[in-house]
Amino acid sequence: MSRNTINSLGLLTLVLMVAALFMVFVYVPTEAVQGIVQRIFYFHVPCAWVAFAAFALVAISGIFYLWLGQQVWDDLGYAAAESGMVFCTLVLVTGSIWARPIWGAWWTWDSRLTTTLILWLLYCGYLMLRAMADDTPQVARFAAVVGIVAAADVPIIIVSVRLWRTIHPAVLVTRQGTHGLEDPRMVATLLVSMAAFTALFAWLLMLRFATLRTRTRLSLLARELGRTRAAVGDL
Amino acid sequence: MGAFAAILRKDLRLESRGGESTITLVALSLLILVVMVFALNPAGGAGDAGTAAGALWVALIFSGTIGATRVLTAESANGCLRALLLSPADRATLYCAKMVAAFIFMTVAEAAAVVIMVLFFNMDFDIRLARLAPVLALGALGFAALATLLAAISGRVRAGDLLLPLLAVPLFVPALIAGVKASGSALAGEPLSAFSEWLKILIAFDVLFLSAGYLLFEHVIGED
Repeated sequence: MSRNTINSLGLLTLVLMVAALFMVFVYVPTEAVQGIVQRIFYFHVPCAWVAFAAFALVAISGIFYLWLGQQVWDDLGYAAAESGMVFCTLVLVTGSIWARPIWGAWWTWDSRLTTTLILWLLYCGYLMLRAMADDTPQVARFAAVVGIVAAADVPIIIVSVRLWRTIHPAVLVTRQGTHGLEDPRMVATLLVSMAAFTALFAWLLMLRFATLRTRTRLSLLARELGRTRAAVGDL
Repeated sequence: MGAFAAILRKDLRLESRGGESTITLVALSLLILVVMVFALNPAGGAGDAGTAAGALWVALIFSGTIGATRVLTAESANGCLRALLLSPADRATLYCAKMVAAFIFMTVAEAAAVVIMVLFFNMDFDIRLARLAPVLALGALGFAALATLLAAISGRVRAGDLLLPLLAVPLFVPALIAGVKASGSALAGEPLSAFSEWLKILIAFDVLFLSAGYLLFEHVIGED
């Protein structure tokens, strides 16, 4: 990953983010029923999308790591989990801020909230494992296995929690099969925000990934140096 | 199959001589139910079916975490694990044997917990317990499948005892929701058909984690 690619991605993120902020605060009309609070929706939904995508990325890189055994997949999974954790936290925080005036409660045990919370706990467990097993050589295998079973568990979590209870508004795909965004400017704002957050995630991911790649190379060099020293010592 | 039976027989014989795991698990289940009665202060009877079901499942999670850890750490002494890994039995067979051992220990603890629950919550020994049995069996099987796989990881990590519940409990959530709901219905006297949806979720969970454990165990088992 060259420094130029990362820097241009950072620049793209900046441009998209400024555009998204402008659209959210100036361009888009205020929602008729909920008022100004509804504008947080344009950050909330992209964060949720990114958090779920990052989670899928953790599982996919886990599968590739166990299959091919290349360290690069482990580094990618670690970077995706760390970045995904940030966005998963943001989903919960922005959701709470919205829910207080609209539902009258910071938290309800609705199906999507519960699913996101469990996802967040799974991210927590995964990152704790990585932190605690840092000195174990098999940490990459452990993390890959946990990432895979966690992702495999997500469909069952969604089904069971939905059967349990649900009150979350279905905005993007309603029960009638249409979407709830009446004004075309709302759709445009959501799309730009989606692009901005996806670029932000990609940029953070690349930065973290590049750091982890460097760390891997460094540890390889250190091992090689140790071997060379031992060989020289033998002479 | 021979290797599977041999490993399982060894674990069960070890247990029948010492009884360490089952006695600990039964005592722990008793203790958890006492704590739950103090914490929730139930009136008792069928009206408290939901509370009783919740208490049972808390006991199941705690006893499962310890049971799964026990069956794997029992091998760490005297290089037993190395011997098992060197033997011609493949890793998936080892997983199945260890998982079944954990399942049996959990089932014993659960059976004791049910008896204690009936006494503490003033219920009756009747058909309701028969309807409860498949729910608890499916739950214990799912937790044994999940925890045996994760215990192979946590057993090799510094402070792994702390890690196991952090990983296992969030993964167990779908089975926990389904199990508590189904147990509540069963204890309230509803027929099996009333909670068949929840049983399906439990079965799906069990199938998923049994296959995951079977396929992935070879990547995590080993010794340092």
